Amino acid sequence: MTSRRRTWLAALILASIVFPGCATVHPWDRDLLAKKSMRLVPLPHELAADDHIYFSKEGSAGGMDAAGGGCGCN
Amino acid sequence: MQLSAASTAANVRQRLGAAACLLLAGSLPAAAQAPAPPAWQLEATGLLYGEQARARVVEPMGRVTRLYANGRALSLGLAVDAVTGASPTGALPSSQVQTTTGASGRTTTTTTSSSILPTHTFEDLRTAVDLGWVEPLGTMLSVTTSAHYSREQDYASLGGGLKSSVELPGRRITLTLGGGYNRDRVFPSGGTPMGLAPDSDPRAPGDNPKEVTTGLVGLSHVVSRRWLLGVTASESREQGYLTDPYKVVSLVDPATQLPVAQVTEKRPATRTRDDVLGSSVYHLDHDILYVNYRYYWDDWGVRSHTLDLKLRHVLGVASWVQPHVRVYGQAPAWFFVYGLTHGPPLPEFASADERLGPLRTTTFGGTYGFHVPGSRGEFTLRAEFLYQWLVGHPPQPDETASGGGGGDDNLRRAIAAGDNGTDDGRHLGTSIGTLLIGYTVPF
Amino acid sequence: MRTPWTITLALLLFAVSAPATAKPPAKPLPAAPAFSLAGRDGDVSLASLRGRTVLVDFWASWCGPCRRSFPWMNDLQRRYGARGLTIVAVNLDKDREFATTFLAELPASFTVAFDPTGQTAERYKVKAMPTTFLISPDGKLLATHTGFDARHAPEFEAQIAEALPR
Repeated sequence: MTSRRRTWLAALILASIVFPGCATVHPWDRDLLAKKSMRLVPLPHELAADDHIYFSKEGSAGGMDAAGGGCGCN
Repeated sequence: MQLSAASTAANVRQRLGAAACLLLAGSLPAAAQAPAPPAWQLEATGLLYGEQARARVVEPMGRVTRLYANGRALSLGLAVDAVTGASPTGALPSSQVQTTTGASGRTTTTTTSSSILPTHTFEDLRTAVDLGWVEPLGTMLSVTTSAHYSREQDYASLGGGLKSSVELPGRRITLTLGGGYNRDRVFPSGGTPMGLAPDSDPRAPGDNPKEVTTGLVGLSHVVSRRWLLGVTASESREQGYLTDPYKVVSLVDPATQLPVAQVTEKRPATRTRDDVLGSSVYHLDHDILYVNYRYYWDDWGVRSHTLDLKLRHVLGVASWVQPHVRVYGQAPAWFFVYGLTHGPPLPEFASADERLGPLRTTTFGGTYGFHVPGSRGEFTLRAEFLYQWLVGHPPQPDETASGGGGGDDNLRRAIAAGDNGTDDGRHLGTSIGTLLIGYTVPF
Repeated sequence: MRTPWTITLALLLFAVSAPATAKPPAKPLPAAPAFSLAGRDGDVSLASLRGRTVLVDFWASWCGPCRRSFPWMNDLQRRYGARGLTIVAVNLDKDREFATTFLAELPASFTVAFDPTGQTAERYKVKAMPTTFLISPDGKLLATHTGFDARHAPEFEAQIAEALPR
C-alpha cells in the first residue's frame, strides 16, 4: 500500500470513529458501558497470551501496547 | 436564613470528585474502575501450547495489583515460559544428512527424508517480570508508566514505556498517546554466525545489541449506549541484530533440484513496522460482539491483515461463553526464499523462515467464563485450535538463470510434492492447540 | 495536515486545564425543576416536599460511587430527618429489577423514586453519576455535587446543615 493510500485509510478510519456521534449518550445511558465486558480489551490476560503466541508464530507485531516485552522470536 | 455569597458562588459549581463515574472507555485498566474496596487484585494464568510434532510451551503467569481510592494502581507481573520441542530450521527436505546448530549450542545432526521438513530440537526457559503504575491526574487525565525485563538462554530484554490518556470534554472520546523503548541483547548459543555463510563456519562470541523504539496514538469513542469504537496506530523502529541465528537457507543444485548445501540466514539490520488497529464493541440485546481488524506493514515487505471476531453470550447469572474466530494473511518479506540456487553469488539478505513467508493462520475456539459462587473470583477457560500454512508463489523469482522464476517454482513444487504429495500450492501446514486457564480475584 | 493537530492540541489543553473557580456576581437562585415520579409506596413529587430541605440524588445500580454514597445518605437521613431533611434518591436504571436487587443488598431508609426514561435527570442537567442536588425549603437549587468522594462528605454535610429549615 502506498504512503498516500495509507494516509487515506488512516483518515477514513479516524472519520468513521469520530463522526458517528449523532446519538446523545447521557450519563444514565452508560449502564451497558459500565460492564467489565464492554471494554475494547475485555480479557487482558487473553490478549497478553495471544500477543505472545502470534508474535512468535507470525511476521507481524502486536501494536496494542507501546511497551511490549522482547523475546527475539519474530 | 440567607446563604453566604460563597455558597451562592458554589451554587452551580461542579466539583468533579475523583470518584465520579467517569468512563475512560477502555483506556484505563479495570483496576481503576473498581467500585469500592477491595484494595488488591490477583490474576493467575496458565497457558499450554502444543504444535503438532513440534514445540510445546507451558507458561504460568501471575499478576498482583494494588488499587488505591484515587484510582492509582500499581501492578507487578511475572511470567515463566518453558519451551521444548522442535522448530523448522528453514532448510528444505532432503534424503541426505543435514546438520544445523540448534539453540542448545550443540551441533545437531538430522537425517531426513525427502518428505519431512528438517527441524532442530531445543529447550528454553524464559522469565519475564514487569511493573506498571497507573496514576490519574485530575479526573480527565491518566498516565501509565511501565518497565519490564525478560531473560532467556540467548536473549535479554529491558524496556520501559509511558502512556497517557485524556478524556475529552463531553466524555465520549478518549485520546491516548504512548511510547516505549527496549534495549535487548542477543547472545546466540554457540556464538553468532556470519550471515549467508556455511553453517559449519566458526561463530563469533559476544553480545549483539538490538534497540526498539515504539510510538502509538489511539482514540476511543463512545458512539452510543451500546457501541464503543477504537482505533490505534503505532510505529516501531528496530535496529541491531535482527537475524535468527539458528535458521538456515538451503542451496539447491539447479540440475538435480536437490539441496546440496546450506548457509545461515541473514536479515537487514533495521526494520520499521507500522500498524493500524480498528476495534468495535457492540452490545446486542443479550450478547456482545467484538470485532477487531488490523492492517500491518513494514519495510521488509511483510504486510498482513488480521480479522478477529468474538461473541460473548451470557449463559446463567454467573457464567458466559465466548466463541472466537481469527483469520490472518501475510505477504512475505522481499528477501524470503524457499531456497537459493547453488552456484551463483548469494544475495545480500535471505531467509527461509516461514514466519516471514506468505503465511496464513486460521484460529477458532472459545472461552468459558464463570464466577466462583460465594467468592468474587472469576475463572476463564479457553481452548483454541490454530492452523497455519504457507501459500502461493514466492514474490521474487530466484536469481538463477533457470527461466526467470522457474528456480523458485521448482523448489516450491519440490517441497509441495514432498509435503503432501500434491501441488495444490499449500504446504508446511502446522496444527496448534492451546489451552488458557485464568483466574482473577479481588481481595 | 497541521490544522487537525492544532485542534487536537487545543482540545487537549482545554480538557486538562482545571475549571476556573471564579466567583460570579450574586444571582438569584434558580428554582429546582419540578418532578413527580413513582416511588416505592406511591408517587414522589418535589412540590409535596415544600417546607423541607430536599437532597435529590441521581443514582443507578451499575454505578460504583453510588454504592459508597448509600451508607452516608442513610446516616444523614437518620440524623437530620427530624430537623427537616428529606432525601430522594432518583433511580435511573432502565430496568427496575436491577434497582430492586441493589436495594435488597443496600437498603435505603430514605425515599426512592424511579426515573427509567431519564426525563427528570435531563431536566436537572445531570452530567455524571451520581449527582446530588441540595434544594432549599422554598424550592431553590442551592448546590450541585458531582460524584461521591467520602473526603468531601463533611464539607457537604455542613452545607446541608446550614440549609435546614429554621
